[in-house]
Amino acid sequence: MNLRTTLALIGGGALLVYALFFASSYDQRILTLSGIYVILVLGYQFIFGHAGALSLAQGAFFGIGAYTTGILGSQYGTGFLITFPLSIAVAAALAALVSLPVLRLKTHYFALATLALSQLLLLIAVNWEAVTGGANGLPGVPPITIFGATLTRGLPLLLFVWAIVGIAILLAHWQLRGGRIAAFTIMRETPLAAPAFGIDPGLLRLRAFLLSAAFGGAAGALFVHTNRVVSPETLGFGVMITCLTMTVVGGRFGLLGAVIGALLLTHLPEWFRGLDEYYLVAVGVLLLAAVVFAPNGIVALVLPDHPQPKRSPVRATRLTATPALVQNTGVDARGLEKSYGGVRALDGVDLSFGPGDIVGVIGPNGAGKTTLANALTGLTPLDRGRVTFNGRDITSAPPHAIARAGLTRTFQTPQLPDALTVRQVIETAQIANGQAPDADDALNRLGLNAEAETACGTLPHGLRRRVEMCRAIAIHPAVLVLDEPAAGLSPEEQAGIGDICKTLAASGMGILLIDHNIDFLAPRATRLICMEAGRIIADGPPTQTLSNPAVRRAYFGVIA
Amino acid sequence: MILIQIALNALALGAAYALVAIGFVLVLNATTAVNFAHGEGVVAGGFAAVALAVILPPGIGIPGFLLLPGVLVATAILGLLIGALAYLPIRNRPPVTVFVTTIAVGIIIANGLNATFGAAPRTAPPLIGVGSIEFLGASISRQSLAIIAIAGALITGLALLLQRTQLGRQFRACAQDPEMARALGIRLTRITMISFALGTAFAGAAGLLLAHQFFISPSDGGILILKAYIAVVIGGWGSLRGATAGAMLIAIFEVGVATLWSQPLAEGLLYVAVLLVLFVRPQGMFGEPQQVRA
Repeated sequence: MNLRTTLALIGGGALLVYALFFASSYDQRILTLSGIYVILVLGYQFIFGHAGALSLAQGAFFGIGAYTTGILGSQYGTGFLITFPLSIAVAAALAALVSLPVLRLKTHYFALATLALSQLLLLIAVNWEAVTGGANGLPGVPPITIFGATLTRGLPLLLFVWAIVGIAILLAHWQLRGGRIAAFTIMRETPLAAPAFGIDPGLLRLRAFLLSAAFGGAAGALFVHTNRVVSPETLGFGVMITCLTMTVVGGRFGLLGAVIGALLLTHLPEWFRGLDEYYLVAVGVLLLAAVVFAPNGIVALVLPDHPQPKRSPVRATRLTATPALVQNTGVDARGLEKSYGGVRALDGVDLSFGPGDIVGVIGPNGAGKTTLANALTGLTPLDRGRVTFNGRDITSAPPHAIARAGLTRTFQTPQLPDALTVRQVIETAQIANGQAPDADDALNRLGLNAEAETACGTLPHGLRRRVEMCRAIAIHPAVLVLDEPAAGLSPEEQAGIGDICKTLAASGMGILLIDHNIDFLAPRATRLICMEAGRIIADGPPTQTLSNPAVRRAYFGVIA
Repeated sequence: MILIQIALNALALGAAYALVAIGFVLVLNATTAVNFAHGEGVVAGGFAAVALAVILPPGIGIPGFLLLPGVLVATAILGLLIGALAYLPIRNRPPVTVFVTTIAVGIIIANGLNATFGAAPRTAPPLIGVGSIEFLGASISRQSLAIIAIAGALITGLALLLQRTQLGRQFRACAQDPEMARALGIRLTRITMISFALGTAFAGAAGLLLAHQFFISPSDGGILILKAYIAVVIGGWGSLRGATAGAMLIAIFEVGVATLWSQPLAEGLLYVAVLLVLFVRPQGMFGEPQQVRA
């Protein structure tokens, strides 16, 4: 058991003793509220923390849960066992409904859309008096009754709410198992590259949004049972601000942070009682101070993240033992066209290559080499043209689906999240591709065993490039697109990368190798292509392409 | 004739909203981040006017427009504080961080005003007398005319500053590409802080203009930032002209729907409209410059 869990258990025990023997009925009410906010914050951590999207709808999901329970309970006498699941379901359904238009928005539009949604719901709650009771809300919400037992306010309700907190913590923990935290990190920190390794950002974000809504709905329902009244304040921006402050102060990621943040912020008014009406000013100051001085929350400040216990770095040496590749017929691209404004980055490119080919691509800057790589791997939607991979049309397939089908790539600038270890980065890609997480073979092949447990952010440039390549081959692609893999490397490192390419090709992988270094490319490429202004101006054996007059004019600036 | 009055009221409201939206864009362009405390800038401007009116000797009936310099200075200082507290310490972190810090500063301002002035709506003195002028059979509100005149003057002044002065050229350079501007020797921090001061002063001026007719209370900031935000999405992210046009459009929509039906419906439909706009055009009405490269 690690330090964090031990402290959490001791703290939980102390809290229980306090609640059972020392807390006044008022203290018990505050503790009940804390529990409700823990659930709200646990949900918010998914979307704001893990998915990294500033949702301003968490208060709205809370309010929707509150009104579902409030209306059904007070008007129809519906019991907890029906209203509670329904409150969760309605909140999640609302999230699902708006997710399609909202989730693909960029940060500032996502924040606006979720805020507009919240304001809209508040407006409806205030003005639709016949159903919601208007500004006064609806009194007479029944207490929680399960199996004949009525939970009165005070200790019974307190213990029940915290039991649900326990379930919520287990649920959140279960949702984040199996490397999903790492997948979220990769999606958040390197959004461009994540899909190229099989991670589906849309699905992850949707999962986070639905979870945040479900937890929010549950919290809102419990809140209404505590207050016995549902009013527009449950939908107000105040709930959102409280939730945001708790999450930022406690920490965006940790389960313990959610508990600490909620406990702290619900008890703050007691401790700051002397401030009277300036109390909320103090909350603002606390929020600001937390962002500036404790960016990962106060829990991380007190208990810094310790590196995971190291696994033995090398399990077995299985050098060059290449797994059998999927039988494939390679890539066939026809008539690719792509313009950026007036610039024709791809202007009718035809290209096909198959297993065992190493196709080198050269061309002056701006010739369209990276756009070609992006087009083949689905990162750039084409204006015209068709890409077939292994007999299947992948022209408009999303990049994560292309990666899972066996076509992956590396990037000019290595796309690695600083905080994750090399092993985590590689194994997350393997999990995303439905493979067993086992980085050792790929690490062996690229000689990265010693770095397996090192955080990517601390690696020098040359090693970062190797990690990228390692990740790409770890998911056993049939075709690999390498965008300037040797740039900025020493001659020895370049030779190493080159040898790996030859080994991979010999085992049946098709490789598209973009680079500027002729001495690196020419000896290894089975074919050499030269691009200029979005067109392929030469395609053939390296010696033939290099002696082509058009190539010499375009690329070397020699008038032949 | 009633139509002229309604149109003029909409124009006046739009002019005030335009000041808010322009101020929002000024900060946005300098920081590439959303200043969520901007609505509280408007509220602070309104309360600055309320406070100044109290300090001045009563009885002489001083017209509200004379309070403008005082309001501008007070809210410009507030803007510098927002920049220093909510932006400078975290300028190297992701823009979403600025969102959270400015929300925090917004809480501080709103609740500070609430504790000082109370939660009840307050009113600032009329800009230039009360009542209306009869013109071609239509009665035109003096307040509306004054709002349009003052907002027009401020916007014209800003346009001259941006187009005709060296400082304005530096502003525009920073808006296009902050890093490149810095590389060319422009003092980015200085321009950023001036943007906060100028942007918040514009918001404050709008507070003065709105606080007589519509009253002002400490909790109004949220709704005002939302409208500025929507104006900027409609008009094009980062565009000053677009923000002005977007603000006008919102005001016309609001006054129109409120006149025909009701105020809550106007507000509700505005939010529905925004969600629809973002649904159809996720990149905003006019898109944004793409700077991400693989």
